[in-house]
Amino acid sequence: MSNDTVKLTIDGQATEVPAGTSIWDAARELGIDIPVLCHSTRMRPVGVCRMCVVDTGARNLQASCVRPCEDGMEVDTRSEKVEKHRRMLLEMLLADYPEDSARDAATGDDELLNMARDYGITEVRLRDGASGRPQGVDLSSPVIAVDHQACILCDRCVRGCNELQHNDVITRSGKGYGTRIAFDLNTPMGESTCVSCGECMAVCPTGALTNRALADLKLEPLGSD
Amino acid sequence: MRKIPGSTAETRKAVGFKGVDSLCPYCGVGCALTYRVDGEQTQILDVTGRDGAANSGRLCVKGRYGYDYAMHAQRLTKPLIRREESYPKTALSADVKGERGGKRKAGGIVDYDDVMPHFREATWEEALELVGRKLAGIRDTHGGDALAGFGSAKGSNEEAYLFQKLVRTGFRTNNVDHCTRLCHASSVAALLEGVGSGAVTNVVRDIENADTALLAGCNPTDNHPVAATFIKEAAEKGTKLVIVNTRRPRLADHAAIYLQIHPGTDVALFNGIMHVLIKEDLLDHDFIEQRTEGFDEIRETVEEYTPEVVANLCGVDKDALIEAARLLGADHRSMFFWGMGISQHTHGTDNSRCIIAMAMITGNVGKPGTGLHPLRGQNNVQGASDAGLIPMVYPDYQPVDDPEIQKKFEAYWNTELSPNPGLTVTEIMSGALDGSIKGMYVQGENPFVSDPDTNKVRKGLMALDFLVVQDIFMTETAEFADVILPGSSFMEKLGTYTNTDRRVQIGRPALALPGDARQDWELICEIGKRMGADMAYHSVSEVFDEFVACTTEYQNLSHEVLGRDGKWYPCHDPANSEGERIVFSESFPRPNGKARLVAARQSPPHEKTDAEYPLVLNTGRMLEHWHTGSMTRRSTALHTISPEAFVEINPNDAVSLHVTDGQMVEVRSRRGTIQLKAQLMDRVAEGSVFIPMHFREACANVLTDPAVDPQGKIPSFKYSAVSIVPLSDEARRAGSGS
Ligand code: SF4
Ligand code: SF4
Ligand code: FES
Repeated sequence: MSNDTVKLTIDGQATEVPAGTSIWDAARELGIDIPVLCHSTRMRPVGVCRMCVVDTGARNLQASCVRPCEDGMEVDTRSEKVEKHRRMLLEMLLADYPEDSARDAATGDDELLNMARDYGITEVRLRDGASGRPQGVDLSSPVIAVDHQACILCDRCVRGCNELQHNDVITRSGKGYGTRIAFDLNTPMGESTCVSCGECMAVCPTGALTNRALADLKLEPLGSD
Repeated sequence: MRKIPGSTAETRKAVGFKGVDSLCPYCGVGCALTYRVDGEQTQILDVTGRDGAANSGRLCVKGRYGYDYAMHAQRLTKPLIRREESYPKTALSADVKGERGGKRKAGGIVDYDDVMPHFREATWEEALELVGRKLAGIRDTHGGDALAGFGSAKGSNEEAYLFQKLVRTGFRTNNVDHCTRLCHASSVAALLEGVGSGAVTNVVRDIENADTALLAGCNPTDNHPVAATFIKEAAEKGTKLVIVNTRRPRLADHAAIYLQIHPGTDVALFNGIMHVLIKEDLLDHDFIEQRTEGFDEIRETVEEYTPEVVANLCGVDKDALIEAARLLGADHRSMFFWGMGISQHTHGTDNSRCIIAMAMITGNVGKPGTGLHPLRGQNNVQGASDAGLIPMVYPDYQPVDDPEIQKKFEAYWNTELSPNPGLTVTEIMSGALDGSIKGMYVQGENPFVSDPDTNKVRKGLMALDFLVVQDIFMTETAEFADVILPGSSFMEKLGTYTNTDRRVQIGRPALALPGDARQDWELICEIGKRMGADMAYHSVSEVFDEFVACTTEYQNLSHEVLGRDGKWYPCHDPANSEGERIVFSESFPRPNGKARLVAARQSPPHEKTDAEYPLVLNTGRMLEHWHTGSMTRRSTALHTISPEAFVEINPNDAVSLHVTDGQMVEVRSRRGTIQLKAQLMDRVAEGSVFIPMHFREACANVLTDPAVDPQGKIPSFKYSAVSIVPLSDEARRAGSGS
């Protein structure tokens, strides 16, 4: 074996990958889909949501989008422990999620809600930390609706704005429960230095950043022709 | 326990959608995207980025939100003929008449209430018969050279090919041109002369392999926004940006060196850089020896351009100039990007010659991380030029005045052709004015707003015996038309488009044509048939094949081969290759295979500032708008973000002019005056002002100097002398009251 590759098994399948490859990428090569929220193949992995955790036999579950493969690793992407963790995480994220998600309603691609459906979650057992939208809604941009309550702080928009488009508009601000994404120094989006490229809206997995043009529509795919 | 959040879809209108893989209609970056449309294809619902070669899923505000113009209620849907009582011809709306004080509606687009009553609806047969008869009549009475056509860089390669074929074989003249004349004609002139090819030698995204990139006279964050994201990305990873611009571009925030030169001193600056390159021996001697000719002339010419002299003349720091030269020198891989700050001058060709020379003497062409890249503006200005929408050349830049080539095309098109190079955009307008041009066909261009010296253009258009305009909206130019043909928008077309990187990609129809509007390519052929030209085609791809077959560069390409993702030309093996990203690794397409270096000397601007007109006017574009605004000002999102005209004035100048931020001012030049809002901005240098070209109600081209570059024939949009006076509230009320 060359020094530049590592051998491991993922869900029982043996594989050899270049050193430094993330477990998530290695699994994908094998056709194994590990659920993600913060990760996107278009962006640098940051490992903030922990939806992609896998069991490597270590004491803690590992975030596969950032964890490099190691020689001899035996990875389980769907163990009982892993699934329990993901289910709990989803419930926590949903506890203060708004009643309605503009993304789910318009285009049906709210990744958080779809994942909850995949996991058969129909009810949230945790206490609702927020009824209504205490984190606020920002409709100052003519093209993008911002629903801070639906933001899960996955940092996709932050990376989309700063690392894909290099517009350097979005950051996080505040701390604890008050943490939220912010435009410039926490100004309304429409008054910020935002250039309305829409990248943040395109990469957002939830109802937090959505297309205002679709506010009254529900898009349903037609059969391909 | 509460249910997981659901959707409120019940209150929303359900609409079935399908995806159409296509392109953005706006700029030369050529972003690939998918339109989601309803089943009947009457409505674009939204846009998502596709993994295109130029954009990797990224889009800018125009591509993502600027599509709705195509669905605007003001689309032309019936052929129109000017009413008899509306002769003799004049402009019809107050703004186009040049009247101040006419009623002015919000939105700044042609006032349909003023204009439409002067036209009546006609059948296609009546309209096309009239066009064919009138144009053929002028041709048969006065000769083909009394006719001219403006094609469009917004149209497809196929439309451009057909349009020039119509003019050459139907009109029987080479008087065919398009907006490349207003954009990069001088760059292309210098490239054809020096390199033997008008296209870029390397793609934008290869900047990731460059140590240094020169960006001169361009503003990519506004004009090539997605390309700018890759430039910023490279800068973040270590590519040093050397930026030259009279008006500070946003990209300067990412630059290693920003040189804010005095307007019109580009040649001096580049000669100064070459002086340092030679003096410090930062040259690639092998490359100069084996791949170029004319270096001695360069050496002699730049001798006198010492850093001291140049720094003084250009108003830049001497050490910064020397440092810029060192960053660009032969021990670095350097790419050279330029835009209209270089090309739109009476010395535009000289500016480009200098950039070409800098790249050549440092050996920075033909390898990864090196190359020449004039950033092309329109989505298909590269392709329209390649297809021969240029008065001096047939498709693929084959000169019309070469008898061998003429014979070849006479055989190819089975007709006789004119041996005389045709007139350019500005020459055609002068011809209209002096009566030598009597009839015109304008397809998808709007010279009234885009061409320099509006007052002259107005007179020219009014003087024409016959004008047919084919467009999707009632444009300012169409007000002067005898016949208006409702054409197709980008969203309704099938065709190929060639981006700034030479990537040829297919745009597919997302929308059905509105009303009785017809495909532009079919209308060109219909007029051709009525003028006796052989223009019968069954499909767009058949037209593409005919175009490809008379070029070298597009060989091996077809709609089938281009497929979903397109190819770069040249492409020798389409089955296994994406085409060439980098060209001229071995030799240049010139007779001896060598690049020709052409030295240039700093020359004074055509128009001089004086006590009466002390400021230099620079015109250009802005992120949210496109050219004459006929599309973007009908886009809800773009119009909302950027609704009105403005003039950028340096705050220090504003003090002496007694102008405050947001105040209405009058800008005057030797040709006309306009009124608009002042915006105090320190990104414009003292002594200069900037006005975007998009706003017809404060049309920058009322002011511009129509003088042109001798080789490129491009107008000097970047340098006109103006003065500014603040308008008192009273004067403003008087000026705009009705
Ligand atoms: S739309 Fe604005 S905030 Fe969002 S990515 Fe673009 S520039 Fe950043
Ligand atoms: S960068 Fe150009 S091609 Fe891309 S979306 Fe913007 S205008 Fe369209
Ligand atoms: S997807 Fe890996 S931590 Fe979010």
